[in-house]
Amino acid sequence: MNKVARIFSSWGVNIAIAMTALRTNLMRSILTTLGVMIGVLAVILAVAVGEGAKSSVVDSINSLGSNMAIIFPQPENNGGRATIDRGRLTMRDANAIVRTVPAVVEVAPQLRSTLQIIVSGRRASTPGIGATPAYGKVANIGVDAGRFITESDVRTAARVIVLGPSVATKLFGTFEPLGQMVRVNRVPFTVVGILETKGSSFGQDNDDLALVPISTARQRFATSTVQGPDDLHVLFVGFEDGEDLANGKKAIVRLLRQRYQVRKGEINPFTVRTTEEFMKETGKVTQIFQILLVSIASISLLVGGIGIMNIMLVSVTERTREIGLRMALGAKRSDIRNQFLVEAAVLCVIGGIIGLGCAAMLSGVIENAAGLKAPIGIGITIFAIAFSATIGLLFGGYPAVRASRLSPIEALRSE
Amino acid sequence: MPIPLLETHDLVKDYVVGGEVVHALNGVSVKIERGEFVAIMGTSGSGKSTFMNMVGCLDVPTQGSLAIDGIDTRTLESDELAEIRNKKIGFVFQQFNLLNRTTALDNVAVPLIYAGFGVTARRERARAKLEAMGLGNRLDHTPAKLSGGQQQRVAIARALVTDPLMLLADEPTGALDTQTSEDIMGIFQQLNDDGITVVIVTHETDIAQYAARQILFRDGKVVDDRPSQHRKRAAAS
Repeated sequence: MNKVARIFSSWGVNIAIAMTALRTNLMRSILTTLGVMIGVLAVILAVAVGEGAKSSVVDSINSLGSNMAIIFPQPENNGGRATIDRGRLTMRDANAIVRTVPAVVEVAPQLRSTLQIIVSGRRASTPGIGATPAYGKVANIGVDAGRFITESDVRTAARVIVLGPSVATKLFGTFEPLGQMVRVNRVPFTVVGILETKGSSFGQDNDDLALVPISTARQRFATSTVQGPDDLHVLFVGFEDGEDLANGKKAIVRLLRQRYQVRKGEINPFTVRTTEEFMKETGKVTQIFQILLVSIASISLLVGGIGIMNIMLVSVTERTREIGLRMALGAKRSDIRNQFLVEAAVLCVIGGIIGLGCAAMLSGVIENAAGLKAPIGIGITIFAIAFSATIGLLFGGYPAVRASRLSPIEALRSE
Repeated sequence: MPIPLLETHDLVKDYVVGGEVVHALNGVSVKIERGEFVAIMGTSGSGKSTFMNMVGCLDVPTQGSLAIDGIDTRTLESDELAEIRNKKIGFVFQQFNLLNRTTALDNVAVPLIYAGFGVTARRERARAKLEAMGLGNRLDHTPAKLSGGQQQRVAIARALVTDPLMLLADEPTGALDTQTSEDIMGIFQQLNDDGITVVIVTHETDIAQYAARQILFRDGKVVDDRPSQHRKRAAAS
């Protein structure tokens, strides 16, 4: 008989033997499985929550506009040395970037300050962005109702405001905000649009913001941080799809260093970050978060595994006579070892599958309750089952080897 | 000259019990030919069970040689010994040693698992052996639902399922009443007539009378080895 068929057939037999043995001590099997189940549940949830966090980070970065660079007028890497001398970033720099850096499609210059918005006794404090129409394209955001900031708003420094959905709800509740007057830092503004919702990521509400024309922001809300008539707080640079952002960044840095006459060896008085870099960095953070989570969860799986080992040792002791009999009937050491390995693996895989089921249910609960996504995909499913089988083989290994090393006659004689 | 089925030479087995060395076997030289029906006799502590364990490759001798079917067992690894137990020897125990919660059919099929048979072949062969034992209508019964005699017949079917050269039975009637004992001995005689070598260990002289040859052990040595004087034949069942 061919060897492969023999191996498969003997594993089938071993599973049947294992099922009989596990049924014989049903309560004990259930309790042992419970330990593994909880362990697998914990690990899967940890992995799933980590995956969810990762994908929500990617989502929120993608929602920024997937192919762009953000320029701040603050010196890069100010760790180690205090930088009192702020850099500068102006409209002229923005125009120069559009003119000279290839693959740049659009720039969205911005001024930022916190806005106090009041309407009929309700008040909201929200991050305000002085923007141009380009902001919508570069930041990949549109309006849900009304309209966005227009060129003519910017030209005339119109007192119009586009509210984020959260702010709109806070101020107006269920009332229609479009066309209403609000007081922004005591100046009357007309609500002309409501932004589409961007949800939240990492507990940060992406819908809590308000847009006004950049010219209006410069006139009304400009703070002392802006030194010149065309200074900017932030500049978004949108690239063509498929453009290598690292190259784009290099070109921008080269241009700005030239414009600010930064000498070789001096640090940049500005910071350029690309969405790619954001993604990498946050990816690193979420990975650490996930590793931490999974290692804590693994402890409970370890405890479950020790439970398996314990119960398998009991099982081997109880069934010493059966082991002796099987040896007398021709079982090799490897046959006995495999029998108990399979028994441990079956216990663990059952625990793993139940744990997986519970995790699938709990992931829905977590998603509803905490707003944390915890997707359980095919990858995690396979991982969970393979992982629990491995736990079985690992912790069942010692008892199984011990069983296989018994002397046939002593095993047969034992009561 | 044909190779003897079993040949031991100066077989010695020592046990250390409580710091003292006990000579369970003290120089046993026995030769058993194919087709023999041998009863190993002796009181408890005479060494007959130890001899049986050596012959069954369940234990290894301290000294001396043991050849089964011409194979010197002293040099064999544990896997090779397992194969001899599986293919050449069929064991029958006093307490039947069937697996609980397992049907007669599956009990009989156990040695075939280790012989590497597939599931269909296992069931086929096990069924044939059980039918030969007159248990064709008890295939799906678990041991708890079988009488002592039936259980021992299941055990004999299991011992025969790999078509071994030799049946080794350790007090096979020890847990049975007189009538059932006679039935079981009749089965052994029938099997022996069909050509299989049978070796039984017993302390009961009337059971030994069913064998053709009786070997008497005392204090780890063979003290008598002769043909049965008034051999009993069990009534055909």
